[in-house]
Amino acid sequence: MNRPRVHRAVTGVAVTIATLVLPAILRGSALSSYVLLELAAIVTVGVSLLMGCAGQVSLGQGAFYACGAYAAALLATHGCPTVLGLLAAPVVAALLAVVIGIPLLTLRGHHLAFATLAMQIICLSFVGRMPVAGGDIGLQGIPRFAVASLELGGDRDYAYLAWGALALVVVTTHNVIASRPGRALRALASSEVAAESSGVPVGRYKLIVFALAGAFAGLAGGIYAFFIGYVAPGSFPVLLSFEYVVMAVVGGLGTISGALLGAAAVTLVVQVLNQLATLPGMPSYAPSVLSYAAYSALLILAVLFLPEGLTAKLRPK
Amino acid sequence: MSAFLSYLVSGVAVGCGFALIGSGLVMIHCVTRVVNLSQGMYAVVAGLSATTLLGWGLPHGIAELGAVSVAALAGALTGLVATSRRATTPQSALIITFGLAIFAYAVEVVIWGDQPRSFPGLPGAIEIAGVRIQRQYLLVVAATGIVFLVLDLFLERTYLGKELRACSSNPYAARVVGINVKRMGLFAFALGGALGGVAGVLLGPLRPISFDSDVALVVDGFAAAILGGLTRPLVALAGGLLLGIAESMVAGYANASYQTEVALLLMLAVMVGQGARRAAVHMETS
Repeated sequence: MNRPRVHRAVTGVAVTIATLVLPAILRGSALSSYVLLELAAIVTVGVSLLMGCAGQVSLGQGAFYACGAYAAALLATHGCPTVLGLLAAPVVAALLAVVIGIPLLTLRGHHLAFATLAMQIICLSFVGRMPVAGGDIGLQGIPRFAVASLELGGDRDYAYLAWGALALVVVTTHNVIASRPGRALRALASSEVAAESSGVPVGRYKLIVFALAGAFAGLAGGIYAFFIGYVAPGSFPVLLSFEYVVMAVVGGLGTISGALLGAAAVTLVVQVLNQLATLPGMPSYAPSVLSYAAYSALLILAVLFLPEGLTAKLRPK
Repeated sequence: MSAFLSYLVSGVAVGCGFALIGSGLVMIHCVTRVVNLSQGMYAVVAGLSATTLLGWGLPHGIAELGAVSVAALAGALTGLVATSRRATTPQSALIITFGLAIFAYAVEVVIWGDQPRSFPGLPGAIEIAGVRIQRQYLLVVAATGIVFLVLDLFLERTYLGKELRACSSNPYAARVVGINVKRMGLFAFALGGALGGVAGVLLGPLRPISFDSDVALVVDGFAAAILGGLTRPLVALAGGLLLGIAESMVAGYANASYQTEVALLLMLAVMVGQGARRAAVHMETS
C-alpha cells in the first residue's frame, strides 16, 4: 500500500472519531454552532462539487437551503410525520433545482452566477408573499424531529442527526467523483466542447449535479428547520449563499476534504470573531461588521493566494 | 393618462440610474473581461459620501463631485485587488469583486451605520401637460444624457479613450503597440466606479440608500447591460430605460412588490435567449 493512501485512511478515521466525540463534549452555544457547522458543511460539499468538479458557479445555493427548510416546515406544521418532512426536503429542493436548472444551465460563467443570484432573490420574495408560508413572518412552532416515538429534543441529538446526513452526503459525493460520470464532469468543467465531442451528455450531467447540490442544500435546510423550530425569509439572506461559496473556495474546490475543512475553518474564525465582538465595550454593530469583514477577507485572500485551497497546502508532498 | 405620464417619467429617471451602473459594468468588462459584482457598491458609497459631505456644509455640486471621486477611488481599489495578480482569471476576479462588495459592507456600517440615509436633491416640481414632475427627475435625466454624451466623445475622440477601446477589442495587439493594458484596466475600473457613483448621487434623493442596497443595484445594472451583451455602453442605456419603465409600470398598475421580480425575470429571459443563440464554441474561444 502506498503511503498517501494510508495517510488518508488514518486521517479519515481520526476525523470520524473526533467529530463523533465532539458533540458529547461541547456545551451550550458551542454545541449549536457545531450543528450549524455540520449543516453548512453539507451544503458546501454540494457547492464544491458543483463549482470544482462541474465548473458551474452558483451564488444562489441559499435558495435550495430555504426550499428544503420550508418544505420540511410546511409538512411538519400541517400534521405530517416529521420523518416525511425531512425526506421531502431534499426531494423538493432537487425538483426546484431541476425546474430552475433546465433554462439556467444553458448559461455559463458570470451569466450563471448572476442568474443564480437573481433566482435566490426571486425565490425569497416569492416565499415572503405566500400566505401558506407565513409571509415575511415565516413559520413558527415547527415540531421537534421524531422517529416513531423517539423524539429528538436536545442539541446533541441534532448534532448526531446532522452528522449522519453529512456522512451520507460525503459518501454519495465520493462515489459520484470516483465514478465514470464524475470523470465526465471534470472533463466538462475544463471544456464543454471537448467533453461533448467525446460523447459526454453535457446538459444532462450538469443538470444532475445541479440537482444533487440542490438536494444536499435542501437536506441541510430540512434539518435546520427542525433544529431551530422557526423559518422566515430573513433566515436565508443572500449572504448565506456567499458563506457557502467562501467555505468551498477557502477549503479548495472540487474535493470533499476541502469542503469540510473550509466549512470548519470559516466557522471557527467567524465564531472567534463573534466572541470578540460581543465582549463588553464593543459597539453594537461590531458582530455584523466583523463577520462581513471576516467572510470577505477570507474569500479574497483565498482566491488570491490559495487558488487550490487549504487542502492543497496541507497535503503531504 | 396623467398617471401613465408620471409613471413614465419616474421609470425613465430610475432607468437612467440603472443605465449608469450598467455602463460602468460594460466599461470594466470590455477592458478587463471581469464582471464586476461590486458595481452596485460604488453607487452606495457615493450616495452615502454625499450625505456626509453635505452634512459638512459643502454646497450642492461640490459635494456630489466629491462623492463621485470617492466612488472612482473605490473602483480603482477594486481593480487593484481584482486584477493586479497575473494568476487571477476573470472567473476568480468575479468572486473577488463579490468579496469586496461584502467587505465594503463592513466599512460602510462602521462609517455610516446600518440605517438607510437620504439627502435632499433639487427641490420643487414643475408641471408639464398637467403632470407634476419633480425637478430631481429632470436633473437625473439631463445629467445621464450629458454623462453618456461625454463618455461617447471620450471613447471616440480622445487618445486615452482610443487606448481603452484598443484594449477591449484586442488586448494582445494593444500591448504590442505599447499600451499598458494593466494600467488601462485600472483606469476602466476607476471610470466604472465614477459611473456607479454618478448613479448613486442622482438616485440618492429619490430613494434612501443603505449599505445593502448594492445587491439590487448591481443586479438591475447587470440586467440593463446584458441586453448589449456587456459590450456596448449605449445599449446599456437603452436596456436601463426599458427596465426602469417596465418596473415603474408594474409598480404603478400592478403591485409595487413585484417590480424586482419583473426586472430579474426580464434579465433571465434575455440571458437565456442570448445563450440559446450563441454557440458553445464561440463562448469558449472569446
